[in-house]
Amino acid sequence: MAWITKPSGTMAVEQRSEPYLTEDMKNSIRETYLPRYETSKGALLPTLHKLQHTYGWIPRQALMEAADFLDLKPADVIDTASFYEEFWLKPKGEHVIAVCRSIACEFCDHKAITDRCREKLGIEVGETTDDGKFTLVELECLGACGGAPVALVDEKLHENLSPDEIDRAIDEARSH
Amino acid sequence: MTAYTPKMPGPVLTARIPTYPWADPKDRHIVSYDEYTRTGGYEGLRKALGMSRDDIIEEVKGSQLRGRGGAGFPCGLKWTFLPKVEPGTDPGPRYLAINADESEPGTFKDRLLMDFDPHLLLEGIAIACYACHLQRAFIYIRGEYHHQAMVLEQAIKEAYEAKVFGPQGLLDGTETNAGGTFAVECHVHRGAGAYICGEETALLESLEGKRGWPRVKPPFPAVKGLFGRPTIINNVETLAHLPSIIENGHQWFCGQGTESSIGGPPSFGSKLMGVSGHVNRPGVYECDLGIPLKVLVEDHCQGMRNGKKFKGAIAGGVSTGVLGPDEFDAPMDFDIGRKYNVLGLGTACPTIFEEDTDMVGVARNIARFFKHESCGQCTPCREGSGWLFQLLSRIEKGDARTKDLDLVLEIATSMGAMPGTTICGLADGNNWAVRTIVNKYREEFEARVRPSFVPVTMSVGAAANG
Repeated sequence: MAWITKPSGTMAVEQRSEPYLTEDMKNSIRETYLPRYETSKGALLPTLHKLQHTYGWIPRQALMEAADFLDLKPADVIDTASFYEEFWLKPKGEHVIAVCRSIACEFCDHKAITDRCREKLGIEVGETTDDGKFTLVELECLGACGGAPVALVDEKLHENLSPDEIDRAIDEARSH
Repeated sequence: MTAYTPKMPGPVLTARIPTYPWADPKDRHIVSYDEYTRTGGYEGLRKALGMSRDDIIEEVKGSQLRGRGGAGFPCGLKWTFLPKVEPGTDPGPRYLAINADESEPGTFKDRLLMDFDPHLLLEGIAIACYACHLQRAFIYIRGEYHHQAMVLEQAIKEAYEAKVFGPQGLLDGTETNAGGTFAVECHVHRGAGAYICGEETALLESLEGKRGWPRVKPPFPAVKGLFGRPTIINNVETLAHLPSIIENGHQWFCGQGTESSIGGPPSFGSKLMGVSGHVNRPGVYECDLGIPLKVLVEDHCQGMRNGKKFKGAIAGGVSTGVLGPDEFDAPMDFDIGRKYNVLGLGTACPTIFEEDTDMVGVARNIARFFKHESCGQCTPCREGSGWLFQLLSRIEKGDARTKDLDLVLEIATSMGAMPGTTICGLADGNNWAVRTIVNKYREEFEARVRPSFVPVTMSVGAAANG
């Protein structure tokens, strides 16, 4: 079997001239977050959250800018960023539908919710629609087991869902 | 029906959060700083500032308050592990990390406190910081709690404006019993979707901006924690108990809950119990520790959904394992682990299953969770959790052999129960969950597997006759 290699060492990072980490963002991190932590690395998670929130995902160039800004090695930043599930290092749809698949939700029929999403959007779990509007994922426990089945549509939690309700939530997200 | 009388005088943690049976949850709203102080809020902190640090710690030790995050470690005892501060000397930075990374499937109790009564938590934080001489507090909240993080940020802003926190000292520079004022900073730090960050040392790593890999202990966080400094890590609910303990004294607290029936440490106080699964009215209820599960389900949750029979329950978060069909009467206190052969009380948030639940599916779901959340640092957990998930999926599909069942138990035991194989307790939780389900519902698993051998009656080789 031939080895499939990835030329990470020589791989060029796609660059755009305009920085992702803007001066405004840097100033707010400098004022709000850096004084809280003993090391600049402490402010890395808040910085990544800011990037994720602004762009919906975190491009390589943004990771390198964050490394530069916080005086860290790019490898350290990628090490942290790639560990956490909430940071998207690849582009995703404009809206994310995250259906909970953990114990209480699975046994309160989360499958009906996922199935309705799959039918409605015409995609499988883990995929993005062709128009780039929606990404469908299944996540582990969202911490709202009393309202099972639940799903997060972007940053809003929907509890006690029926297939029709997730349908409406998707329509609502689409209209924004 | 059942002869059970609660000992609680009324709602304690949920005093401002309408909850059954005292009030209707539809009246729930975010309690603002004004409403909180109007209803007696921050009085516990005011009283604490008039007490000496040692007296506060003695009071908390006297209450025998046990950590509400899962392990049930006595809170006051944990505090005494901190290095002593000589009066008049500066010990340097010391931290409080609040564990609000509630991510164990089935657990959703801290969320209620953060959703509606954030100042109760903030008051508890201020008391703990003063008592233990900690100058900065970080609330580590899980990434998925977007709304709760916003509520907390807003509450912290109010608390800073009202000068509870900030450079002027606690409660607008109130003179403390220790002499002078004591200033505390409080911040929210958001996680980003990693269950392991609820483990205390992984939480510290994550606060430092690193990947959430648990640290080898010792050194323990109380000696060398966040940024190498002494750090106390407490759960949200544990801290929320402090204001009422300080206000009413430890005897009041010890009047609630229950003594241990097997000679262990007692389970005093009330506890938030979040019930999910196949019940008519799932949700968070505040009950005395020691309330039988059956009473919790039948009285508070209005019984099983669709009148079905009880089949089993996860005791308190999936890592604790299951209570079998004949263990519906189990009292929900810290003895539950030793009495009912589960890992422990955990977070006391049971998930209830009705009679037609497929327990093989339950085991597979839990194994998938642990496989997904294993951080990858220790080999037995990283590999074992994947094998368990694969084996259980195969059993669920009806494609497995009898020997697979033994293999499941062997992997679970060797990755979890064997001491020293992994750094943190994640593999242990995986082991307990899978092993208790397989043992307590073995016939269901056996019905799904095919025999892997034809029994042999004739011996061969050296042992054979002739």
